[in-house]
Amino acid sequence: MQSEALISAYAPPFKIVLKYFIAAVIAFVLLNFLLVVNYADINGFHFQPKILAITHIATLGWITMSIFGAMFQLVPVVLEVKLYSEKLAEVQFWIFLTGIIGLVSCFWNFDTGIHLTYSAIALNAAILIFSYNIIITMTKVKKWNITGLYLAASIFYLITTGIAGLLLSINLGFPFINISHLLYLNLHAHIALVGWVSLVIMGVSFKLIPMFSLSHHYSNKSGVVAFVLINTGLLGLSTVMHYENTTILFYVFAVITALGIFFFLHQMYLIFKNRMRKRADIGILFSKTSYILLGISALFGIAIACTNISYQMNVTLIYGYIIIFGFISMIIVGQMYKIMPFLVWYHRYSSKAGREPVPMLKEMFLEKPAYAGYYIMITALAGAILSFAFQITISLLFSFVLMFIGSLIFLFNFTYILIKAKK
Amino acid sequence: MAAKDEIMEVLKGVIDPEIGLNIVDLGLVYDIETSSNEIVVTMTLTTPGCPMHSSISLWTENVIKKLEPEASVKINLVWEPRWTPALMNSDARRELGI
Repeated sequence: MQSEALISAYAPPFKIVLKYFIAAVIAFVLLNFLLVVNYADINGFHFQPKILAITHIATLGWITMSIFGAMFQLVPVVLEVKLYSEKLAEVQFWIFLTGIIGLVSCFWNFDTGIHLTYSAIALNAAILIFSYNIIITMTKVKKWNITGLYLAASIFYLITTGIAGLLLSINLGFPFINISHLLYLNLHAHIALVGWVSLVIMGVSFKLIPMFSLSHHYSNKSGVVAFVLINTGLLGLSTVMHYENTTILFYVFAVITALGIFFFLHQMYLIFKNRMRKRADIGILFSKTSYILLGISALFGIAIACTNISYQMNVTLIYGYIIIFGFISMIIVGQMYKIMPFLVWYHRYSSKAGREPVPMLKEMFLEKPAYAGYYIMITALAGAILSFAFQITISLLFSFVLMFIGSLIFLFNFTYILIKAKK
Repeated sequence: MAAKDEIMEVLKGVIDPEIGLNIVDLGLVYDIETSSNEIVVTMTLTTPGCPMHSSISLWTENVIKKLEPEASVKINLVWEPRWTPALMNSDARRELGI
């Protein structure tokens, strides 16, 4: 009981988490702006300089910065343990940021020389600092739960993603990898998006969604099965891709991974089915949409893995766009609409409650623009997918502009919440 | 010393800022004990590990202190028996759309 009462003491200083979130939101706006001004180059084959650059602003800047910030906040709170080092979290931020800027500018100019490798080394250094910090923190955990299990496994895939990325960056200038560069890139992307990003999203969902929607009395079995299947699938895929004549095994492991994702979605279905708060607020609306898009992404992934559809024009771009701007961006925006108001409220109003009037969390930002942002982002997503599919450049531009507006609305509300912290 | 009913009434001013409902209607207050100079509130939260726990404890303490400035107030946060939605009263259920 005493340990429960000390939970807030585990949370790291607000400014550390905030730094990561601010960098993430800036990256989100920047990448959408770059898509707008370079829309004509975003089509056809995915392995081209500007697409590689923008993809890494998304995966490293927007997505991974968000996750780093969220994990610094949630690992201590959820696992009731103090973060090993706040200093390392600070140092890691600047190394990671430098690495992103270096890597993205190298991709943009297609500089495949030593600068690309140096940038990849910086990113790996930051990843290793983060992993060390979290692993040491986790060694002190006394009471494990399913969220902790997912977060611990995600660290393994983060390190693997970084190393694979480093090898790819060297291979681009000085080829040495025996298997095809594109096949290895495929592995790097899936380990990153399914192993690192999705496992974190899933683990965090098991904790936050029941808390926000007041869900009780459900079994966690599907979540455990999902964990086993996704890890089996990913480890299997990473292994068989290194050997020839393993096509059947490749199909098997791809299906196992997708099956794991469906077990996760079944777990989320159970959580939502047992919720007491029937009305979905903006955070839950974004999150629910994200889970539906994850299901669509998994089906799409199976189709790409087991058929020849990836030879069709823009299929890989559609697949990547749904995952990054659909599944992942929707959940980040949704959860930030829940986490940011809480952090600012806690920081600013916690001590005043009971002495003077304090706002509710939903009053910490403007709800109407947030809902408008949701519908704009959904329209942009659908528009971009159709534009890629039918190769209509002008509607692709229109869709990118809409997504950019969606990102600006989110930036507006994010800033609005921060201003509340200063008032 | 204020009566338990009075204390319960001021606790209705403590609102879970995420859900927007007060802790009494939510059924989070399990017991109130009063003695000559001490008030002990035994309560829980909707989720173990709820990050709002220290804010809500402090808020609870503040509203009681307003009512009884001289009393020593103790918030006894417990996780057993675990809160279930069945503990909510009809006002809370209506608000949540159940």
